[in-house]
Amino acid sequence: MEIVFDKVTKNYGPINVFEDLELKIEPGEFIFVTGPSGSGKSTLIKLILNQIKPSSGDVLINGVAINHLKSKSEIDKIRRKIGVVFQDYQLINDLTIEENIALNLDIINYPQNKILSRIDEVVKMVKLQHRHFLFPSQLSGGELQRACLARALSIEPEVILADEPTGNLDSANAWNLLKIFKDINKNLKTTIIMTTHNPDFIESLDKKIINLGKSEHGIT
Amino acid sequence: MGLLKLTLHHIRRSPFQSAIAFLTVFTCFFILNFFLLVNRGLSGVLNHFESKPEITIFLKDGLDEAKVESIQKELASYPEVKEIRYISKEKALSLYKEMNKDNPLLTEMVTASILPASFEVSAFNPKVLEDIAQNFSSKKDIVDEIIYQKDIIQSLLSWTKIIRQSGLVLISVSVLIVFVMIFTLIGMKINNRKDEIKISRLLGASKFYVKRPFLLEGVIYGFFGSLLGFLLSFLIIYNLRSLINAFFQPIIFVSELSLFEPLLLAIEILLGILIGLSASWLGARRYIKW
Repeated sequence: MEIVFDKVTKNYGPINVFEDLELKIEPGEFIFVTGPSGSGKSTLIKLILNQIKPSSGDVLINGVAINHLKSKSEIDKIRRKIGVVFQDYQLINDLTIEENIALNLDIINYPQNKILSRIDEVVKMVKLQHRHFLFPSQLSGGELQRACLARALSIEPEVILADEPTGNLDSANAWNLLKIFKDINKNLKTTIIMTTHNPDFIESLDKKIINLGKSEHGIT
Repeated sequence: MGLLKLTLHHIRRSPFQSAIAFLTVFTCFFILNFFLLVNRGLSGVLNHFESKPEITIFLKDGLDEAKVESIQKELASYPEVKEIRYISKEKALSLYKEMNKDNPLLTEMVTASILPASFEVSAFNPKVLEDIAQNFSSKKDIVDEIIYQKDIIQSLLSWTKIIRQSGLVLISVSVLIVFVMIFTLIGMKINNRKDEIKISRLLGASKFYVKRPFLLEGVIYGFFGSLLGFLLSFLIIYNLRSLINAFFQPIIFVSELSLFEPLLLAIEILLGILIGLSASWLGARRYIKW
């Protein structure tokens, strides 16, 4: 999945988040999005998910300007190809981890008879086997974030958007999660777009960085 | 996670709201079915009276056969006359004896000669009977007395009409309450689960996908509420059948089981499902905004 920001400007009322942002994300890339609070990291994720519309410019996915899509079903189709990992997990609290993952698989119309085996696969990938039958309230922060990643991975997404996934984790758990992201990108060739504040993570991997600033932004 | 499993999960997660929705539908269909069965009994009562001779013309003594035949011909000439029965003096005596067979004292002194012959006339249209009564009451030379049950029928008709109309109002109000209750409860449930809906939408679920469990929930309330409402009212009435029928004797107020009951059950379940589905559909349409 190729993602292009073509001169995208986003304002929230009088507040300008970014202006004329241009970037291109090729399939299989691992990209860090960094910048101070309020620089638009989460806004960038929301624009890709078409949760919000740009004030001007276009967000193109595989050449299609998604901000101009009128059909809700087209937007849903795009979202079904994207796995999302949220800082605050966004798991459904009264469903077990297994049921949370199954719900996502059901949404993409995954064959019912293969759902359980797919859940087994992904919980192993994120090292959460033997914990997937628990409810979110019964897991630690690190486990929750891995559960969230397992849900995102389950649908075999073309892109994983991770919005500050390590923000609530201790250092050991955060590094663990980063390693899992790295392995997914390397082995499955899934595009990873991760927003982070942590300069150590960025320096530890030789990956493309999108630096969003108040009035300037750059790609290194 | 399958649709049914998710829907049952929703129902279990808010048991009191679910119980209220179910009880409302159940009560509505209990009343509806109770009323329909009572209404069926009332129709039986009316049919009974309508099928009985509604006018009896007692003849003067000493009329010859030719005169009696001419009266019968005149009665038959009226349109919409259902049945004309001639009760001779002898027949009247045997009927009298049959009616008083347990009291021989009443029958000992009675002979056919002291009982009048009569015509019993029933009609499809009560208006005809009125015309007959008016016409024959002026024929004093052949008619001794006319007994016309108009007042009884009129009173029965007006009571039946009142009961039917009250029943219809009661059912309409109950259906409206069920509709509003399911609509509101689905709205509350949607509000309780808005985070789940938002997350599902973000994961690519279509609007219909997130609506489906709420629609099925409405259908479940409609189905089980109407089924159990029917069964309970049916069981009560049929368990008291012999008692009720004894009270209304000789009229059969609660009739034998027939095709009517399963047909009624099917119609009520269909109606329950329709109410549940339409109320939850409107609720989901109104409240799911994400």
